[in-house]
Formats: sequence, C-alpha cells, structure tokens
Amino acid sequence: MKLVWANVLAIYQRELQSYFITPWGYLIAGVFWLISGFFFSILYYNLTAQSILMGSDPNLPPVDYAYELIRTFLRVLGQVVLFILPILSMNLYTEERKRGTLELLATSPITNWAVALAKLSAVVTFFFTILLPIVTYQIFALSGASPAISLEPLLWGYFGLLLLASAILSLGMFISSLTDNTIVAAIGTFGLVLLLSLIDAVSNSTTGIVTDIISHISLLKHYENLVQGIVDSSSIVAFVSYILLGIFLTAQSVEAFRFQRS
Amino acid sequence: MIEVEKLTKIYGSTAAIQDVSFSVEPGEIMGFLGPNGAGKTTTMRILAGYLPATTGTAKLAGFEVHTDSLKARQKIGYLPEIPPLYPEMTIEGFLAFVAKIKGVSAGDRPTRINYALEKCNLLDRRKTLIRKLSKGFKQRVGIAQAIVHDPPVIILDEPTVGLDPKQIIDVRKLIKGLAGNHTVILSTHILPEASAICDRVTIIKNGKIVATNKPDNLMTDLQVSTSYDIEVDSNYDRVRDILMGIPHLNTVTIASTKAFRDDRLRLLITSEGSHEIGRDISTALVANGIPPYEMRRIQASLEDVFLELTTEDTSIIKEISEPVDQLQTESNGDKQE
Repeated sequence: MKLVWANVLAIYQRELQSYFITPWGYLIAGVFWLISGFFFSILYYNLTAQSILMGSDPNLPPVDYAYELIRTFLRVLGQVVLFILPILSMNLYTEERKRGTLELLATSPITNWAVALAKLSAVVTFFFTILLPIVTYQIFALSGASPAISLEPLLWGYFGLLLLASAILSLGMFISSLTDNTIVAAIGTFGLVLLLSLIDAVSNSTTGIVTDIISHISLLKHYENLVQGIVDSSSIVAFVSYILLGIFLTAQSVEAFRFQRS
Repeated sequence: MIEVEKLTKIYGSTAAIQDVSFSVEPGEIMGFLGPNGAGKTTTMRILAGYLPATTGTAKLAGFEVHTDSLKARQKIGYLPEIPPLYPEMTIEGFLAFVAKIKGVSAGDRPTRINYALEKCNLLDRRKTLIRKLSKGFKQRVGIAQAIVHDPPVIILDEPTVGLDPKQIIDVRKLIKGLAGNHTVILSTHILPEASAICDRVTIIKNGKIVATNKPDNLMTDLQVSTSYDIEVDSNYDRVRDILMGIPHLNTVTIASTKAFRDDRLRLLITSEGSHEIGRDISTALVANGIPPYEMRRIQASLEDVFLELTTEDTSIIKEISEPVDQLQTESNGDKQE
C-alpha cells in the first residue's frame, strides 16, 4: 500500500511539473485570468453604476453590493471554466497513448486507478493554482467594502468552483482515456459540458418529479447552491460521486483498452 | 527465469499467438525471431503484463503475469516498440521518475540512475531534454528506463529498429553487456542480429513456435542439406554419370548461375543431410580427367533456415538468393573485360 501511494505521488509530481515546464500551462492560465479579469471589471462597473442610481432612492431595500459582486462573479466564473476545463483535461490520457508512455505506466507495478487518481489530483492542483490569485486579489479588493464582507460565503463559493471543476475534469479525463486524438477528447468534453448546461436549463424551467431528479444530478445546480451560501452535504456528496465516477470509468476504460488492443 | 506455457491470444476470431511455450534460463539472452506480424509484440506485451493472454501462463522470476501481475511487473524492465518517453523531461529526471514508479527506494535511486546512465553511455547528456535527442539516443534512454530498477528480467521489443548501423552496433553491445546479471528476451526480425547477440533463438511464425535452439545448432537441427557449386569443362550427362556413384549424393543439377566462360558448365550438387562429400566429388572428377576449375561449398546460412521456416513458398528463397548471385557473376565479368 505504501508503494501505491509513493507511485501516486511520483505520477502526481511528474504531471504537475509538466504544466509548469511547458508553455501550455501558462497559456491556459493567462487566457483564464484575462477573461475572468475582464468580466470582473464589467461586473464591478455595472454594480457601481447601479448603486449610484439606486442609492439615491430611499424606498428600495439596501443591497450588499460587495456580496452581490462576489456572487455574480462566481456565477460567471462557473460558466467560464466550462470552456477552460475541457482544454485542461483533453491531454490527460491522449498524450500518454500517443507517446506510448501508457505502456510504461501499465507495465509498472501500479494500478490503473492510482494513475487516474494521480493525474486528476495534478490537474485539479493546477486549476487550484490558477484560481488562487483571483481569490486572493478579490479578498484584498473587497476588504475595504462597507459593510465589511464576511469571507465565509466567498470561500464556500470558490470551494464549490473547485469541486465543480474537479467533477468536470474527472469526467473529461475519462473521455480523454477513450481516444488518442486530442481534438476528439476536447470536443467530447465540450459536448459533456453542454449536456450539463442543458440539464441545468431543464431543471430551471420546469417543475415536477422528473425535474426534481434532474436537479439532483445537475452539477451546476449544486454549484449554484454553494454560491448562494447554501452549504448542503448532498451537494458535496454529488460532486464527490461525480469525481469518483470519473476515476472509476477511467480505470475501467484503460483496462478495457488493454484487453482489446491488437 | 522465464517460463511460458501454452500462451494463446485471440483477437476476435484470429489467433495472434497459439500455444507458445518456451523457457529462458537466468542470465541468458533469448532472441525472439520472426517476420512482421508473427506475434512477437503480442508475446512481449503479455510477458510485460500489458496484455492478458486468452489462455496459458507465463511466469517471470516466479510470479505469474496474470495472477500476480503487480509483483511480476516489479521484476521486469520493458522497452516497447516505441520507447515510452516524456519529451519535456530531462534524461535524468525521466529516469528518476521511472525509478520511483518501479519502486526503487529513495536511497538507492542515485546509484541506480547513474548505473543506467553509464551502461547506456548517457552520462554526459543527463541534463538534456529528451525532446532534443536523436533517435539513437532516445532508444538508449528507452533501454536505460528498462534497466534503471535493476530488474531480473528485461524485455526488449525490436530494440534496434530504425537506427543507423553505428547505433545498431552500440545497442547490440549494450544488450550483450546486460547478459549475466539480467535475463534478456528480445524480439527482432533481423536474423544476423539474433545470431550475433543471442544465446538462444526462438523462431515464431504465424503465432506458432517453429524452432528453438542455439543459433549454431538450429541448422543441424533442421537437417539442411549441404550443397556444392562446381565449374567444369565437360557435358552434363558425363559428369552426372561419374558423380551419381558417390554415396550420400542427392542431386546433380545445372546451376542457375552463369559459368565463368561460356564453354564451361556450372553444376549444383546437393548431399543427403549434412554429409560432406566434397572430397569424393573432386577425387571422382580428377580420376576421370575433368578436374574442376572451381569448387565451393554452399552452407545454408541461418538466413536460409529462417526463410525456409517462415515462408511457405520455397521459391521465394530462390528469388531472393538468385539476383545476388547474378550480380556477383556480372561484376566479376565486368572486371574481366
């Protein structure tokens, strides 16, 4: 067992390293920061304009604009990452297959699920790293807000974003293990993300028992709950289930690939 | 060290390999020889634990590759057809990674990495990115990753494919140097390679083993007949009448190659089995007043054995050997003029 964890750690380190020694990782981070920064500015100016407009009207209930900004921005980020994540996950297994290094991993004393776990942890860590500056600068930027904001909902929101990302990356990893074509893996994961949005849209627009079920499996719905500050254990369980499902499917698909390969 | 019993691998309805059994002694280099598509890679992959066999067992260093997969995998170093490398890593970084996932303890790692670098002549390139290496160097890194954890069994799938002649010699030397400490099994479709570096050769064809022995013994095993090529100035019927009395002589035919001069006759004589009848032939010819201008023994090379074993149509052997002979005679003729 000790050896298994040492192996997971070795693969995790190698994966993580590859994000930082290739321009690929920096490019993705740069684009992500640019887009999120752009949206943050727009939201900020909109809200400021709104507050000036509304602030003069004493009949309206007071609005916590800082808190409103955090929530709206998190919602936007939830949409933005849907486009970034497939690009992060598309190479996880396709590259290994193309280079033949999957054969090295598969003939080493290490199980498929350990490889999948290590790879997922690495890519989630990378995502966490590019998320970190955004959270930090937001905390600084909003520390001057009056009334003072509490950090708790903000951190729960970002925790939710991390869980959402992990779940999508996990499923994206499974899709990338199905093919040795990067483009196919990316398009497949985009398709999956689109399906998730669709499920969310359906659960928002209708009511009834079917909708209830759908809203339980909708990742975006659970994310929205966390952003709203509703910390429900069922949301966390849902995210973790998706993550485990992705790892399980990946391990199975690699196993199946070995069985079929001519 | 390696014991393979009745391995069969079926893809869909076709069998890639069928009832493959062999064993390799510790410290031995075993060559797995066969034409492309004979099932070499499939066998290698099963041994390496990459593919499961449909039926049969394979034991490496005491561990069965299917039931004890993880333990068996710890005992092997495996170089697939395409060396599995991460281009963005340095040679040293890559070897450290492989050593880690193969379970080499942190204390032993520097020594093992140095050993692998030294064996593969990579010491002065240790900090080079793999992406920047030439094919020959990449192959060496591939071998280095297969030996870095000091495995008792090393499996090399076509280790010299795509290399230039100088690199091929280097890699062969390297592999020879591994014998003794490691048990090596390598696949190749190049025959001289197998006879040059292997202690034993197993020939596989259409997924079945057709022969296994030491390279030198393969020929006697298969009872390949010896033949003689002679040149005389007489007519065919007379020479044949003289020679047919010689014991163990099998056939006398007119050779397909041209004689040195037009008024001479070139004959091909074959004996039964490995009987040497050269002396009897020359004695008989001299006694009858037609001493030969030239006489040469044609020993079936391992190449012929290989072709005979791996091709159903024996005419292919002729097709392959004939143009060579003709070329030789033609170039001789050119010099004459």
